Amino acid sequence: MKKISLFFLFLCLLTACTKGEDIKPESYNCNYNFNDLSQVNPNNLVYQSVLDDMTSKGVVGVAMSVYSSNGIWLGASGKADLHNNIDMKSCNITRVGSIVKMVTATVILKLQEEGKLNIDDKISNYLNGDNINKIKNAEKATIRQLMQHSSGINNYIHSLQFQTASLNNLVKEWNAHELLKYSYNESPYFEPDEDVRYSNTGYILLGLLIEKLEGKPLYQVFDENIFEPLGLINTQFAGKNPVPEGIVRGYVDLYSNLNVIESTYYSGWDYYTADGGLISNVYDMNVFFRALMNGEIINANSLNQMLTWKTPKEVEVDFFPISYGLGIFKIETPKGIAYMHSGNAIGYDANMFYFPSDNTTIVYASNSNYGKIEPLVSSKQAMEKIINKTKE
Amino acid sequence: MNKYIAILLLAFSFPAILLGQEKGIPINISFFNESTAVPFTRFITTPIHPGIQLGTEFNYKVKEHSRLFQTANISYFYHNYLAQGIGLNTEFGYEYRLKFGLALQGLLGVGYMHTFATSDEFTFSNGQYIKKVDKGNSRFYPSLSLDLGYYLNKNKNSPKIFIRYQSWIEYPYSPGFIDIMSHVNIHIGTKIFI
Repeated sequence: MKKISLFFLFLCLLTACTKGEDIKPESYNCNYNFNDLSQVNPNNLVYQSVLDDMTSKGVVGVAMSVYSSNGIWLGASGKADLHNNIDMKSCNITRVGSIVKMVTATVILKLQEEGKLNIDDKISNYLNGDNINKIKNAEKATIRQLMQHSSGINNYIHSLQFQTASLNNLVKEWNAHELLKYSYNESPYFEPDEDVRYSNTGYILLGLLIEKLEGKPLYQVFDENIFEPLGLINTQFAGKNPVPEGIVRGYVDLYSNLNVIESTYYSGWDYYTADGGLISNVYDMNVFFRALMNGEIINANSLNQMLTWKTPKEVEVDFFPISYGLGIFKIETPKGIAYMHSGNAIGYDANMFYFPSDNTTIVYASNSNYGKIEPLVSSKQAMEKIINKTKE
Repeated sequence: MNKYIAILLLAFSFPAILLGQEKGIPINISFFNESTAVPFTRFITTPIHPGIQLGTEFNYKVKEHSRLFQTANISYFYHNYLAQGIGLNTEFGYEYRLKFGLALQGLLGVGYMHTFATSDEFTFSNGQYIKKVDKGNSRFYPSLSLDLGYYLNKNKNSPKIFIRYQSWIEYPYSPGFIDIMSHVNIHIGTKIFI
């Protein structure tokens, strides 16, 4: 009898697993407040086939917006929620992670326009304490260098200690100071302005700067300065509500075998700091990017500063030739120069491109990543495929 | 936290005293906290991911103060949201026993582990995702452990209580993404003879 009990105890342990959350389908309902003409867009079938191709190979769900001379096209493929069997819709909200860096840079430039800072000031003129003293280069880096990733400040996200700690507690919600500690006393990549290299740590410092100058949490500054004036009703910073109703479920192929598990609640390092944590949909992001590029958010001088480029000394072989602006990148694609930013969280991935030659703007977002899904959503080949099919 | 470790060690010493007299086969039983961590950077981590290990050992060579030995163990851990695993391993160990009952051990191990998801898993099949029974993933897991123990008496078969720092590698983990995952288990356990 004891043996049988032990066997059942063991079986219980091995089958001890969290069941998916039951969510009413209505929670995912969303609409546009305009007449969506995507179905009559002359490229409708081509665009839809791009998304269907991705989901036929293992991407859980993907949504895309394409703005071109034919107007805006909006579409989706796959699932927003596997457990509840909900189809993905283009209006569904999702995590777009680091795309928030473009919002952060935009707000900083607006603050400069308002005379509240000068981007050539040192960040240490505004912040002090351990976050300046213990992060190498932080004392001498300027706000511009942080925005352009040319400060040389170490990127906390590459710390093995951070990576293992975040896996150890997947639902932990991290604050800025807990994250910055992983950059304390770490060697800088280079002296400020010598080169460019992506650093989330730099953007956390920029977020602290915004909060200090404005005396408000980041989500409120973003709402008041960017999202509300542009009418981006489906966009918010995660700090306001990390897992809002209607957000599509995220999935990860952690073991590279197209067996996915849900990860909706696993991006807690991304909720409160200005290096990630944006929640939006592909329509709102398309509107934001075009408004920014058309000078509707910041003035021409600020936009010129944002679009002043630095090229890394080391060429990235698996990506397009790239240059770094202020919270934005310039890449050379087969269809010409594009400005872009990417973002991801655990189980989420997003990319957006703006082609200055004709204002074509493409945004796509997937609710799955890692493993075998990664090359389908965020590789150079994946981006090239989408650009080639959507840019005329 | 140290207070709790002391209480646990004390609690472990009672079965050791009761069961450890004049018997032959050594049994090691320990409860542990598993964590994903870089070795030798953290000791106690939270949240607690519980695990249990049961094993035995035999000696290759015994001297007055030291011995070389081999262990065989079965273990289970549950890491919330990430994985649960059952492992079989063996370790080659060296122990140095001090006069006043303290003993230091180093253990080098290899093992096989089968891990399972702790949440619903969806498998891509015929162009769509379907919920399937998780068959788990095979893992190789080498380990390195350092152990501080206390023998309750001077007998050869004295029961022992111990605290162990076990660092182990999970391979393969996520091919092409995170190839190797590093874990640390902090064990509190006892050796008894039956």
